[in-house]
Amino acid sequence: MNKQRAIHRKSARFIPLLALLLPMSFLLSFIKVPGIDGLGFSSSGLSLLFSGLNIINLLPLFITAALSFFFGLLTLRPTRANLRLTASAFTLSILVFIYTLLSAKSMADASGLLPAPFLVKHLQFGFWLYFLLAFLGLILSLIALRQPSTYIVLTAMAAIWLLPIIWLIMTSFRAERGAYTPYIIPKGWTLDNYIRLFTQTNQFNFARWYLNTLFVSVITCAATTMMVLMISFTFSRLRFPSRRLLMNIGLVVAMFPGFMSMIAVYHILKAVGLAKSLISLILVYTGGGILNYTIAKGFFDTIPRSLDEAATIDGATKNTVFWRITLPSSKPIVVYTAITAFIAPWVDFIFVSVIMKDDYANYTVALGLFRMLEREHIYEYFTRFTAGAVLVAIPITLLFIKIQKFYVEGVTGGAVKG
Amino acid sequence: MTRTALKQRKKKTGPGWISQLITMFREGDLKTRLGFLIMGFGSFMRGQIIKGLLFLTSQAIMVWYVLGFASQYLSKLDTLGDIGMQRVWSGERQNFVRTPGDNSLLILLFSVMSIMLFIAFIALWHSSIRSGYKAQKLLENKKRLPSFSDDIKSMLNDRFHFTLMSLPSLMVIAFTILPTIFMILIAFTNFDSKHQPPGNMFTWVGFENFSNLFGANPLIANTFSKILGWTMVWAVIATVTNYLFGMLLAIFINNKHIKLKAMWRTIFVITIAVPQFVSLMLMSQILHQEGPLNALLKQFGFIQQSIPFITDINNARLTVLSVNLWVGIPYTMLITSGILMNIPKDLYESASIDGASPLKMFVYITLPYMLFITTPYLITAFVGNINNFNVIFLLTRGGPLVTEYYQAGKTDLLVTWLYRLTVEKQDYSLASTIGIFVFFITAGLSLLVFNLSGSTRREEEFQ
Repeated sequence: MNKQRAIHRKSARFIPLLALLLPMSFLLSFIKVPGIDGLGFSSSGLSLLFSGLNIINLLPLFITAALSFFFGLLTLRPTRANLRLTASAFTLSILVFIYTLLSAKSMADASGLLPAPFLVKHLQFGFWLYFLLAFLGLILSLIALRQPSTYIVLTAMAAIWLLPIIWLIMTSFRAERGAYTPYIIPKGWTLDNYIRLFTQTNQFNFARWYLNTLFVSVITCAATTMMVLMISFTFSRLRFPSRRLLMNIGLVVAMFPGFMSMIAVYHILKAVGLAKSLISLILVYTGGGILNYTIAKGFFDTIPRSLDEAATIDGATKNTVFWRITLPSSKPIVVYTAITAFIAPWVDFIFVSVIMKDDYANYTVALGLFRMLEREHIYEYFTRFTAGAVLVAIPITLLFIKIQKFYVEGVTGGAVKG
Repeated sequence: MTRTALKQRKKKTGPGWISQLITMFREGDLKTRLGFLIMGFGSFMRGQIIKGLLFLTSQAIMVWYVLGFASQYLSKLDTLGDIGMQRVWSGERQNFVRTPGDNSLLILLFSVMSIMLFIAFIALWHSSIRSGYKAQKLLENKKRLPSFSDDIKSMLNDRFHFTLMSLPSLMVIAFTILPTIFMILIAFTNFDSKHQPPGNMFTWVGFENFSNLFGANPLIANTFSKILGWTMVWAVIATVTNYLFGMLLAIFINNKHIKLKAMWRTIFVITIAVPQFVSLMLMSQILHQEGPLNALLKQFGFIQQSIPFITDINNARLTVLSVNLWVGIPYTMLITSGILMNIPKDLYESASIDGASPLKMFVYITLPYMLFITTPYLITAFVGNINNFNVIFLLTRGGPLVTEYYQAGKTDLLVTWLYRLTVEKQDYSLASTIGIFVFFITAGLSLLVFNLSGSTRREEEFQ
């Protein structure tokens, strides 16, 4: 423990030094380094901005550098409050740096003094030093504060993971048409994409697809849940001669790639006259979902057998045991099974496309959205696609968050106990 | 269950039902023996009338089915049809008229179905004889015969497994087993775009597709070996990177000093909760030549020309691997979080007293422990990556396509190649052959998991 405290103290001692270097590196980025062009540091870049009128753009950078310097010096007396102030100053420096980095091109273009085109790599070496120092300063202040510096990594990662989704949501409210825009944030905002998704139904009838999917998934959910519970109970609780054999068959069959049998399924459905109907989708999803019984079976395995035995002594049949004892004590797994079965029709676009072919009226949302992005539709439908994707993603996301715990147990095969 | 017990059971179930038939025939009286020919006879003559009639009806249905329906298909199973669709001059219409010929696809499909029905029928036949034999024995021992309502009641108790299993089994047989057997058989035919029923017939070709895949056809064999190679490289890199980075993220979040753990976790869970087809199509748009990422990089002066993330071969491969990280890291984080918390704390405490650095602790404590616990998960993830259809299909569609490959692109995995061959090129026989090959890889690895996890062996211990 003493050793750790020493580390905290040592890092605190370095902070004033970094704080001193930060404004210096800021100034460094304005100094032309003659002859060093081509070594990676260009003599153009921000130094030229200095001679232009846009110094005001660099003011925030300078102010935060000064702030970091001021608070950094305070940490010569490393109290908690001082350290906290320094950490915030360094964080601010980094954020302002990133802002300046991102707006450097527009600044350079606006100054009109730079040889076009301006690229970030033309920036001065002091500029990058600034970033490095601010970053190190933040890490050291966090260590001195005994806060994990992984906050920085986590924030960066969270940004990477969330930005695409934020972009999706923003685009769904974009007023400009077309698939791609040379900018990120929409110029105009509108609810039109959502409205047209449900009102302009001549070619892509999203409202109908939504109802189709809802219909298919509700019935699939009921049927699959019932059958999965039946199979799991049988394999977990009942003992009969062909039990192992059946379980092994199920295991082996599930290992064949599903796409392989798709065509055969289509022809079977065609032979019984069900191709291109919603009923065929229900049959296919239910038939496919049944083999995912292992999680429910694993859950049933953990319910103590003594309960069943007590009931059997009292004269209950196995039927009663199933309905009155096992099912009521398995509510979470029933919910899990139901939700996974419910989600399946919402996210599949392969089986629907094989079964429905070009029968647009019977599409589900997933396939419909998939079609919207095809080359001939993408210009017209891209913003509507994003709106539709948001409408599909919201319910599915909420349902998934509810069952994530079981999902984990299912994947690790119950390795996570306790 | 011990091994010896298993062996004993195997002995019993193996040739059991045949020897049972022999004993039943030897010990049975006339009524029971007649039941071998007329189903339900043994039961019917002893007063179990409804049961006997039901058996008899099923026999009648089977005979009617075989004679009226199955025979016309089964008889052509050897060649899969002799007469193709023909154009016949019709005097009436003064034109050529198409006469439907044999449809190889239906012949094969219905034959497989009939054979499966026939197997089911034999099981039924067996149980009808046993039922008659049981009735005989009960009467000999002066016991009461179960009435039909007794039988119905036993379906809810002693034979409850039968009640529960029948409907789900039927579904699985119809939509999984039957199609799978059908497609396995397709691998031994020449069912491709040139042999499409009903216009053209296809027929058995033996192992030709397999030999094509393994060298007889240089183009296909070359494509196969290259795609297999990329599939393996992809699966190894994707699994290892996802595992390591996902675990690191979990360690970051689980750090005891980190506040708002639930918030961090939710941020990452949201990205896996969004349906994959949405998030991956989104990614493919973001990475498009004119997409927002390139727009962003250009707008801020990082690049001048768009980076071809998806259309350049090496970029595309890097892109699918990185997007797979984006998709996969939260999954691994979610799964490893729980296990990480189970690592005994005293291991870390004693290590930190000895002055071990966090990196050393990770390499010598966390990693070995995690590898030990999660080996089955790792192999499952590896198999999942071999069959990782969504990431490849939604991002690059297997592209960029190249001419040196047979109907495939540089990022195609075996499973996306299979998809293109079936859905877009109708090259079913080759696709089925690839499917069988994928099955062998998957099955081999899964067998490994099975033996490693041990949870199946200890099944009975939990209860």
